[in-house]
Amino acid sequence: MSQLDWIVLVVTLLAIVTYGLYKSRTTHNLDGYFLSNRSLPWGLVLLSIMGTQASAITFLSAPGQAYTDGMRFVQYYFGIPLAMVVICIFFVPIFRGLKVYTAYEFLEKRFDGKTRTLTSFLFLLQRGLSTGISVFAPSIILSSLLGWDIIWTNLFMGGLLIIYTMTGGAKAVAYTQQLQLIVVFTGMFLAGYMVVNMLPPKVGFTDALEVGGKMGKLNVITTGITEKGFNWSDQYNLLSGIIGGFFLALSYFGTDQSQVGRYLTAKSLRESRMGLLMNGIVKVPMQFLILLIGVLVFTFYQFNRAPIFFNDVQVKKIEQSAYRDSFYLVQQQYDSISALKQNAVVAYADARHNNDANLADNSLLTLKELQKNSEGLRNKVKGWLNEKIPGGDGNDTNYIFLRFVVDNLPVGLVGLLIAIIFLASWGSIAAAINSLASCSMVDFHRRFTKKKETGEDEYRLSKLYTLGWGIFCIVVAMFTYNIGNSLIEAVNILGSLFYGVILGVFLVAFFIKKISSGNVVFWAAVLAELLVLSVFVLTKAGVFKMGFLWLNPIGAFGVVAFSLLLQGILNKKETPSVD
Amino acid sequence: MTQQDNDKAPFFKSWTGWYLFVLLFLLVLIIIFYLITKRFA
Repeated sequence: MSQLDWIVLVVTLLAIVTYGLYKSRTTHNLDGYFLSNRSLPWGLVLLSIMGTQASAITFLSAPGQAYTDGMRFVQYYFGIPLAMVVICIFFVPIFRGLKVYTAYEFLEKRFDGKTRTLTSFLFLLQRGLSTGISVFAPSIILSSLLGWDIIWTNLFMGGLLIIYTMTGGAKAVAYTQQLQLIVVFTGMFLAGYMVVNMLPPKVGFTDALEVGGKMGKLNVITTGITEKGFNWSDQYNLLSGIIGGFFLALSYFGTDQSQVGRYLTAKSLRESRMGLLMNGIVKVPMQFLILLIGVLVFTFYQFNRAPIFFNDVQVKKIEQSAYRDSFYLVQQQYDSISALKQNAVVAYADARHNNDANLADNSLLTLKELQKNSEGLRNKVKGWLNEKIPGGDGNDTNYIFLRFVVDNLPVGLVGLLIAIIFLASWGSIAAAINSLASCSMVDFHRRFTKKKETGEDEYRLSKLYTLGWGIFCIVVAMFTYNIGNSLIEAVNILGSLFYGVILGVFLVAFFIKKISSGNVVFWAAVLAELLVLSVFVLTKAGVFKMGFLWLNPIGAFGVVAFSLLLQGILNKKETPSVD
Repeated sequence: MTQQDNDKAPFFKSWTGWYLFVLLFLLVLIIIFYLITKRFA
């Protein structure tokens, strides 16, 4: 990075931390620290909800995902608008009416303390671990790009945000998220504009879409239906997006304290609802545009030489291995194909402009054939990294966009894009740490300590819990390595293991009035969690194939079904015998 | 009515209007995405 990039990066980060500290004045009690005294307008609530969900990996992985797999990933978000409506109708009025700090408090009022403790514990477990991955994900990428040791990037990533999150609580989190998102969107817009601007002079935006589309990257809607019927192992299609995505979003926004804590900061029920509904409107188009940047980057690399592998650290590992000579040979072939691809794509663009359909078709056929060959060579390198080279990682999805940024964007913008990694990470990590602290304080500390504490004491303790969870997440990040999948998927898979069950408990609470026994729901949740974990293990073992999104409905319906079953058994036992 | 109780839906007569709007918006998006997929396939 140039000196200007460093200046842009440091100034942006310091400005955010300073702003967070400036906005951190709040009343010294739990209401002020965890809920901003329930005083925020819907616009700020919306940005806070978006900033909490969109982490750095959203902005890094998504363009890479579109580059490799096309835009069908956007279908994963189709469940969000549906979930927002259901949450506004059923969840928000109850949470606000009961004036709870955490979603799980409601479960004690509805069932018993045991059910509250279990769901809150499941939340702490999965959110604590996934926040650790959220620290690690951008850190490993920055470590690769900047050449820093991962320990330092983890500390830098997690350490700075702890300062304002601990000092200012939910208010500082919300205000910094507002500023962070403005910077993130500006940077992403500039990056998208620059990609199109760097295409050859005659090639415009629609030409770029034509090339990307013809190469299979504009596959926005896919049905998942094959000749053999519906493909259950297909991760992203219309059905899994709407149904699986709905359950995941319902669990995440309706029962995950990191989100519930955001819309409980709103000054009224109306402001909470507006924040959530606007999120339902803007989230899908936003994700579509981020993925579109990935397609544009793909098109850019049809006109320019693309790296054979986008993670330089892994390339160095190959160069230091026994596969070095083979790698150089493959790279030479790859570069030759790249040159031919550039000729073919230019010929295709020219033929389109000259309305020469035959030449366009022929050039496209050539281009597709060459692309297939170059993908084959890329897969060869990935195979070496995955199977032959110790410590190798053949997944470079998270590095594609950043490699493009660092190699091609002008000085200054590179610093801004690196700052975006920090800011987007901070937004989601800060909200997660704030929610972990609120659950620890409200669902555990307050209930299990006998000592009567003042508001000031609780405020001080909440700060300590925030610090503790911040350190925990950094420690998890230190131990996270090579989780295989794209990191955005890893976080979602981890969430899917627990979210369905937590949602199931809430579904029983909201919709099955005849079940009031805490024991019934508690054991139903335990059984459903075991079911979800068994299904996950069996899919991993290859016994059957199923996309991870389906774990959410399985967990949710599992709790409902087990609850009804156990309640039925209980009723039968309680009914006196007639003979 | 206190600020806490304020739950009047803006722009629409009731919240149902908002809910339908959000769902219709999703439907329109899916149709547009389907057309994009078909157009550039």
